[in-house]
Amino acid sequence: MIGLIQNELMKIFGKVASWIYIAIIVLAVLIAGIIYMKFSAEPNPNWRQDTEAEIAMLENQKASASEEEKGMIQNQIDQTKEFLDEDINPNAKTNWHFMNDVVVGVSSLVTLFVVVVGSANVAAEFSDGTIKQLLIRPHQRWRILLSKYIAVILYALILVLTLIVSGYIIGLVLFGNGDFNMKIFEITLEGRKVAIVGEQFLLKMLYFIPSLLMIMTIAFMLSTLFKNQAISVGIGIFVLFFSSTLGGIILMLADKYTWAKFLIFPHLDLTVYALQERILQDITLPVSLSILAVYYAIFMMLTFFFFQKRDISI
Amino acid sequence: MQFALEVKSLTKTIGKKTIVNDVSFQVEKGEIFGLLGPNGAGKTTIIRMIVSLINRTGGTVLVNGKDLDNSFTAAMNELGAIVENPEFYKYLSGFKNLRHYARMALGEVSDERINEVTKLVGLEKAIHDKVRTYSLGMRQRLGVAQAILHKPTILILDEPTNGLDPQGIREFRDYLRFLTSQGTSVLVSSHLLSEMQLMCDRFAIIEHGKLIHISSMHENDASEAEKPKTVIVEISDPIIAAKLLAEHMPDIKVTSKEGSRLTLSLRKDKIPSFNKLFVENNIDVFEIMNVKATLEDRFLEITNKDRKEQTT
Repeated sequence: MIGLIQNELMKIFGKVASWIYIAIIVLAVLIAGIIYMKFSAEPNPNWRQDTEAEIAMLENQKASASEEEKGMIQNQIDQTKEFLDEDINPNAKTNWHFMNDVVVGVSSLVTLFVVVVGSANVAAEFSDGTIKQLLIRPHQRWRILLSKYIAVILYALILVLTLIVSGYIIGLVLFGNGDFNMKIFEITLEGRKVAIVGEQFLLKMLYFIPSLLMIMTIAFMLSTLFKNQAISVGIGIFVLFFSSTLGGIILMLADKYTWAKFLIFPHLDLTVYALQERILQDITLPVSLSILAVYYAIFMMLTFFFFQKRDISI
Repeated sequence: MQFALEVKSLTKTIGKKTIVNDVSFQVEKGEIFGLLGPNGAGKTTIIRMIVSLINRTGGTVLVNGKDLDNSFTAAMNELGAIVENPEFYKYLSGFKNLRHYARMALGEVSDERINEVTKLVGLEKAIHDKVRTYSLGMRQRLGVAQAILHKPTILILDEPTNGLDPQGIREFRDYLRFLTSQGTSVLVSSHLLSEMQLMCDRFAIIEHGKLIHISSMHENDASEAEKPKTVIVEISDPIIAAKLLAEHMPDIKVTSKEGSRLTLSLRKDKIPSFNKLFVENNIDVFEIMNVKATLEDRFLEITNKDRKEQTT
């Protein structure tokens, strides 16, 4: 089995494109870092005075404001006070902030490239005709397919690591080393909550892994079933970019139709759980994970069953 | 005796259509066995069932005595194959392609073995270049190399000379000769009859998914001596010669006359005596030409007979 996986990795890294994807991720992080540096406010060491001054200014405004405006301004004062109470610098910018705010966004690029590589992995063997030479070896077909699947997972992990490491290093160079345990405010659907910046980043990456795995498995399945890279890349990208939109629509339907809750789309992006406990009244992380697990098992069974049975007649 | 390959009542049906119908044959050790038949007769399907690219509807396949059904990996390790044009990972070097397949063998295939095989097929100069840069002939040679890396008992080739130039075909034949001299058996399919004639020891004819004939390429000599042969002679005076034959040797039939040539039908042992007769009667003999029945003639003869039987 190790030999088979070695072979698959050799084939993945034998293609220049696989290296280019890695380079693009580093480049994307670098560009995002430069933009983040240029277009967000400079961190201010005297932020406490500034914040206090801001509150004082707001208090003045409130005194001269009409009754309706008073409530709004009071809200603003309360929110600003929270920064002081929680000791959170509102415009702090360290490598951890960069990673939590920006690097996480680049992760869809990782999914995109994993979809491309995962789709090509099986489909190209068919379109190049190499599948014939591959399947006349003393190995059961499912083992050969499994080695391919594992190789794509390893490639995906390499991309994720590239993202994290390049995010850390570029953040370090551009913004300096920050405190992992610094507190931040995260805006959620349920309002603001206090979080630890480093933990928050790691949590988002952790929740990113299942959706990456799911989308990769869908692309891998389609490429095995249809032997066509274009179809599987196309559908894979569609799922990647529209799953949150579709998920939103489906969640709206879920009030009316219970079954809509069990569709895959609302559960594909688990990173929302880094911000909030539940996406619907009765849907929490364990529920989403269980639903994904059922889909995963079905996808894997379809993929391996049809590959095992298929007549190779190209 | 154990056969290199034994195929028993191999059958493939897709829907209601029977593509391969109860085909059985054996390939002996060290022989080149041909599967002959027109395009679409089912040769490729038979080969793909043997190498497990296509599922069998029925029948068993034993490779060097190992059953594909109950000892799949052991049986598959006994065979090497090129299925149609060998396709490679073009973005990898020839060497890496070979290493890829070497890793898939059951026993260990060392880098030395890869180099040895590379040398055998004469690719040492180009082996570290990307396969993208190879000519079709070179790819075919690399195809042979990947098929014999793990020293299989039997080499299975599906239309191996498709697209090769005469030089390449000849080279290919030479490899096969070399391999069989080392004890490897070969199963080869082709629709090119002349090609098969030069390559095979025995052959089977497949038509409409059925095996309709198996025979040896070099017919047994005793029976050959009894059969009438066709001989063309070129002589100075065909008219007198024909008369002489009719007078002195009535069992020789003149089947046609064309210029200075006569076509005769006779038994092989009569050749010296008619030659002597001509010479004694001052007829100059320029050439005595033995007309061999080609595989094509036999193929057409057999398939035509089969058709007649089917229609009557």
